[in-house]
Amino acid sequence: MKKDFWSEQSVLVLGGGAWGTVLAQLVSAHVRQVTIWMRDEDLVRSVNATRTNEDYASGLTLEKNIKATHELDQAFQENPLIVLWALPSKITREKACELSAHFSGRELIFHATKGIELESLKTTSEVLLEELPCRRVGVISGPNLADEIKQGQPAATVIASDFREVIQAGIDLFSSPRFRVYGSKDVVGVEWAGALKNIMAIASGALDGLQMGWNARAYLYTRGIAEMSRFAEIFGGKRETFMGLSGFGDVIATCSSASSRNYQVGKLLGQGQTLEAILESTGITAEGVRTTRAVAAYARRQELHMPITFGVDALLDGKVTAAQALQALVQSPSSSIWE
Amino acid sequence: MSTDTIDDRYGPLLTLSERRPEVVDSVYLQTLKELESIELLEPLLEEALYQERLRLRRMRPNLFTWPRKRRDQQLWSQIQKGLLRSKAEVSRSELLKKILAHYTEEIAGSFESKVYDFVIQSLPYGFNAFLNAPGIRLGKKLDSKIKLLGPIERLQKLSKQGTILMVPTHLSNIDSIVVGYSIFLAGLPPFSYGAGLNLFSNPVLSFFMNRLGAYTVDRAKQNSIYKRVLKNYSYLTLQKGIHSVFFPGGGRGRSGAVESRLKLGLLGTAIDAQVQLLSQNKRVFIVPMTMSYPFVLEARSLIDDYLNEAGRYRYLPVDSSVLPAVKTLHFLWRLLKEESHLTVRIGEPMDVFGNSVDEEGQSLGPNGTLIQPREWLTSLGEVQASPDRDRVYTHELGKKIVARFHSENTVIPSFVVAFSYFEELRKQYPGLDLFHFLRLSVEQRSLPYDRFRQSCGRVYDRLKDLESRRCLHLSDELKYLDLNDWIRLGVERCGAVHSDRVIRLEDETVSTDDLTLLYYYRNRLSGYGLSLHADPEIDLRKPGRTDEKGFLV
Repeated sequence: MKKDFWSEQSVLVLGGGAWGTVLAQLVSAHVRQVTIWMRDEDLVRSVNATRTNEDYASGLTLEKNIKATHELDQAFQENPLIVLWALPSKITREKACELSAHFSGRELIFHATKGIELESLKTTSEVLLEELPCRRVGVISGPNLADEIKQGQPAATVIASDFREVIQAGIDLFSSPRFRVYGSKDVVGVEWAGALKNIMAIASGALDGLQMGWNARAYLYTRGIAEMSRFAEIFGGKRETFMGLSGFGDVIATCSSASSRNYQVGKLLGQGQTLEAILESTGITAEGVRTTRAVAAYARRQELHMPITFGVDALLDGKVTAAQALQALVQSPSSSIWE
Repeated sequence: MSTDTIDDRYGPLLTLSERRPEVVDSVYLQTLKELESIELLEPLLEEALYQERLRLRRMRPNLFTWPRKRRDQQLWSQIQKGLLRSKAEVSRSELLKKILAHYTEEIAGSFESKVYDFVIQSLPYGFNAFLNAPGIRLGKKLDSKIKLLGPIERLQKLSKQGTILMVPTHLSNIDSIVVGYSIFLAGLPPFSYGAGLNLFSNPVLSFFMNRLGAYTVDRAKQNSIYKRVLKNYSYLTLQKGIHSVFFPGGGRGRSGAVESRLKLGLLGTAIDAQVQLLSQNKRVFIVPMTMSYPFVLEARSLIDDYLNEAGRYRYLPVDSSVLPAVKTLHFLWRLLKEESHLTVRIGEPMDVFGNSVDEEGQSLGPNGTLIQPREWLTSLGEVQASPDRDRVYTHELGKKIVARFHSENTVIPSFVVAFSYFEELRKQYPGLDLFHFLRLSVEQRSLPYDRFRQSCGRVYDRLKDLESRRCLHLSDELKYLDLNDWIRLGVERCGAVHSDRVIRLEDETVSTDDLTLLYYYRNRLSGYGLSLHADPEIDLRKPGRTDEKGFLV
């Protein structure tokens, strides 16, 4: 029986941030053992001693079959069949190169990284496939604010993979009475949705900084989805994906959430602060800033119609105020009369 | 050669001659097992009947194939009668068995070592006898006509370590001979060979093919039962360690371009065979093969077919009045005369997933890792075939083969001159779509030689860049001759077999008698991001696109 099979298996979670920890908790119910690998030795000790990740997921008592380690050999000791990749997108390639020798090729890899490799515009799954000796990779992405899931609030997510086997494993391992998993074959679309929505989050924060109402928000989200999906299509993604959880769903959750770093940056920009000042005073590094730069540059080279992205890019440069950017959006020369 | 053992010389294919009934039986039984367990056998039989009746209505047999048509008609008449009776009266399983017996017999090849020996020794002389031309020396003339490149020694070694599936590009009906002979020149034993059934409509060819390990693939048969039998034949022969070759592109490439889309049905059998062979610690290796011909016998009808389909009412074909027999002789004459030769390149071997393999046959992963096929083929703790998973793997393999077809392609002067001329001409008529462009008059198609030469130089620079990035190979002539010399060679040889001159150079003007033929030969350099509206970043990764005006990019 499949359930019996998984109950004997071991899972490795790479990355001890909020989402990595919450995912570890979700999966622990279905498997024999979960190991979280994290860099910070002190945090490792604290997690093992107190059964809580105070730094990133406080308030969540971890199941008994979860342990933390900062040593790679220990991490792979249990021959994990499932590997959850929850590391920052900036270090994906570097870490994948470093860890590749530890993989046997049998592993099913789920990555939860909402970012792309900026120089090459390759998605995380593409980078992992280039650097690891594994083939069965999936992405888990959706409106999944770690804090809310930690508190036990209901949520749903999408697992996208070329392999049905990976999707089914994801459904078997992550589902809980309060967490529903849907499958998708559109890996590229789901990954781009996760990355691009960070641009929208900045825009949304700026909009709120201008104290605009619901009409403006709806306008931004909807046209944002149109812009994002057209872009992702160039790379092979499907537009329907953007109508679902990993597209529209994630935009709604992130763009309205004050806890999103991208939103915060956007809001401060909307209130008139410069990007330099924001980074200095708050120390926030928002993924969306780098994504905006890379996507805007590509769109300019290819002469694509992406008014919202260009607007955010100009806003980040301090070339326009938020009000001007919004006005430019409404009056942007349209490429077509259709939505 | 005489010191080789029987096994060395004929290899695993000998199994086929000794155990043909056994092979046929195992295909029959395997397919029966798979299909009998399907609940809805009835629709399967009905589909087969429907499609076969359609096919037989369309089939125009010659004297030699007429008996085959009659046998087919008899079978399907029986099946129809059976299906009209109730299940209680006529068992559907019995009907299925009749069909399977018929198909397995038709598909299965055989191998006779004496016939093989005869063909291998006489092929070089055969052409001479055909022509009876003075001044052509008897002897190993054919050997020098085929320039074989690639990691031949490595392949010889791998052929002893596992089963090889050779996958060549497909341009012309002579490919069967070229591939077969190249395999021999590479010092490999003969391969089981998936040949189109249309080749068997000739009694002489049929006699030889039937005895040289060829199995028949009838692309006109699209029903699921036939496809299953065919796949099982391929799977079982690979699994028994019999090296095989088939064209993953399906038929001959009609546009002249390197294949960018493959048929994945038979390709999938490689993974199925690998799953089974894991238990014996044996491997299946996929080896791409590319052929570069300065002239293709059937180019005229192929490009006509392609343009008819792509353009429909927009394409106005020009009739060719030359008899096929005359064309064949002309082709052979040109081939044997002086310097013309065919370039065949054996590509770097891969495993069934498309990973490169080293000398020992081990699959190479990134960052110095080794990939164990066993691990990739393990699901839920067991090494087993899994249709969905393996379909994804096969799809990936297809993509890798397409990439290799392009990167292992040997570019010859004929391709470069055709491409340079065509693209330079396009610049003069930017507004025209393909089909209007092809209707340009003789005057409109001419270019001053200087412009043509400059275009060749520019294209050559870009090709050198692509070569340095390992995106293609350049032939020796392109590498070592100077510009004017290889231009001259290219112009002379490009499409030399046709009655019309594909590129004509007169009085410092370059022109063409036939723009569609020129398009055909130009297409061999499509898919590299070189054409007028190409986006090198995208088109190198995903070849096969046509631009807004309908030209292959």
